[in-house]
Amino acid sequence: MKVAVEGAADLDLDAVVAPFRAVDPGLCLRIEGADGYPIASTTLDPPGLDAVTRAIPGGALAGGRIRVWGSAAGGGLGTAIAESLSAALAAAPVTDLALAAQHAANARRIEEELASGRRLQRAFVALKPPDVPGYDIASHYEAAREVGGDFFDLFRQRHRGHPLSVVIADVTGKGIAAALLMAFVRPLLRAAIEHTTGPAAALERTNKILVEERRSFLFITALAGRLDVRTGHLCFANAGHELPLIVRADGSQPTWLEGAGPLVGAFPRLDVPEISADLAPGDLALFYTDGVTDARSPSGERFDEWRLLETLEDTRARTAQEVVSAIADKVGEFQGPAPPADDITIVAIRRLPVA
Amino acid sequence: MSMDTTVEHVEGAVPITILALEGELDASNFQDLIDTVKRLYDDGTRKLIIDLANLRFMASSGLVALHSIVQIMQGQPPLDPEGGWQALHSLGGDTQTEVRLAGPQPAVERVLQRTGLDRMFVVHADRYTAIDAASAAA
Repeated sequence: MKVAVEGAADLDLDAVVAPFRAVDPGLCLRIEGADGYPIASTTLDPPGLDAVTRAIPGGALAGGRIRVWGSAAGGGLGTAIAESLSAALAAAPVTDLALAAQHAANARRIEEELASGRRLQRAFVALKPPDVPGYDIASHYEAAREVGGDFFDLFRQRHRGHPLSVVIADVTGKGIAAALLMAFVRPLLRAAIEHTTGPAAALERTNKILVEERRSFLFITALAGRLDVRTGHLCFANAGHELPLIVRADGSQPTWLEGAGPLVGAFPRLDVPEISADLAPGDLALFYTDGVTDARSPSGERFDEWRLLETLEDTRARTAQEVVSAIADKVGEFQGPAPPADDITIVAIRRLPVA
Repeated sequence: MSMDTTVEHVEGAVPITILALEGELDASNFQDLIDTVKRLYDDGTRKLIIDLANLRFMASSGLVALHSIVQIMQGQPPLDPEGGWQALHSLGGDTQTEVRLAGPQPAVERVLQRTGLDRMFVVHADRYTAIDAASAAA
């Protein structure tokens, strides 16, 4: 692969790596700018990072670094390649700005498409919860830097009594494939909820359609719930999703609502159990995706369930929005300045205390 | 966070390969794991034990890897976006025995159970019971 560098050399990464590949066939390298983002890289197996992720303006390499990996990289070859690369940069006289411009235009186009995908994705997700008298509902949805696969849905069903339907789901994997599958599954699940007897049947129907008609190597964790708004009775089915939490108004320890079946799309039948819980006045039900508990600090620690429980301790008896914001803020603080690696979705439903 | 893999071979009537995972299996490395198993299969591995004793964490992308690994070990083309779910259909009621899991830590075991992926595998307490079972079945 050739990379054009503004005001400098036309850089042939493969030629630089070639002599060392004879020693270590698995050897790859990546050039990162001073900001840590990759500028160019070689990989053995396409489609990998073997592309110019942006044009290289003159001087971009200053302060950047060259990362080398492969089985022999630990044996001093990494340094040798870095030196060889620096030499190539200094020696080659050719500059192909046209190529650089073309790469930059391509990269920009892809960036724009992704941004438009992200905007569309936000539009899919219900950002404003429905107004349900006697309940306080809030949600938080934050997409990862790439297009992600989380979604949630809150709506009043057409059934008698207009129960509140809550759906939260996560398509495994990220990127455009996950986002497309999410866009496909969301209305499917909604229709299944309207046309079946309960959450377990709705998930079963969705799974059947996915397994029989749509084939993909992506799976979906999904939880579907139905809340009888008159009685506070919550009935839900969980296909491989994070367990929901109930935070009681009486100050007792929050409890996980156990009972789950396999992921949607993985097996011909789910056979998920239907779980029941009752929301008493003041109680709160919390649903979330693994973007919360799997969030990682700069030092590599996971946010984990215990930090979530800790956050809930501090937020008891607050509004649903305050609870959701407290969790989102704490996760954000924990992750540091890096953009979230995964989508983060949180939904809280609180039954208002009787005045 | 990274994950290290170690490969060991156990000789016997049917040779068994043990792939030990250490660290965290997530979106950053699940493809590497799939590639590793692809190489092992190409090199002749037909019975695989994945030792999870030192795996601290498994994200949902780890499930995709486990699914792909079963496909590879069953001799099917891996990660075909149009045919990925077929492998699981063909499993039917019998759990496959090409790939066994051994010694998952509680956190990893919970993910396997919650997502139903434990249906796909025989999960053994540790690598030694897994080796015994794989040898006996051979």
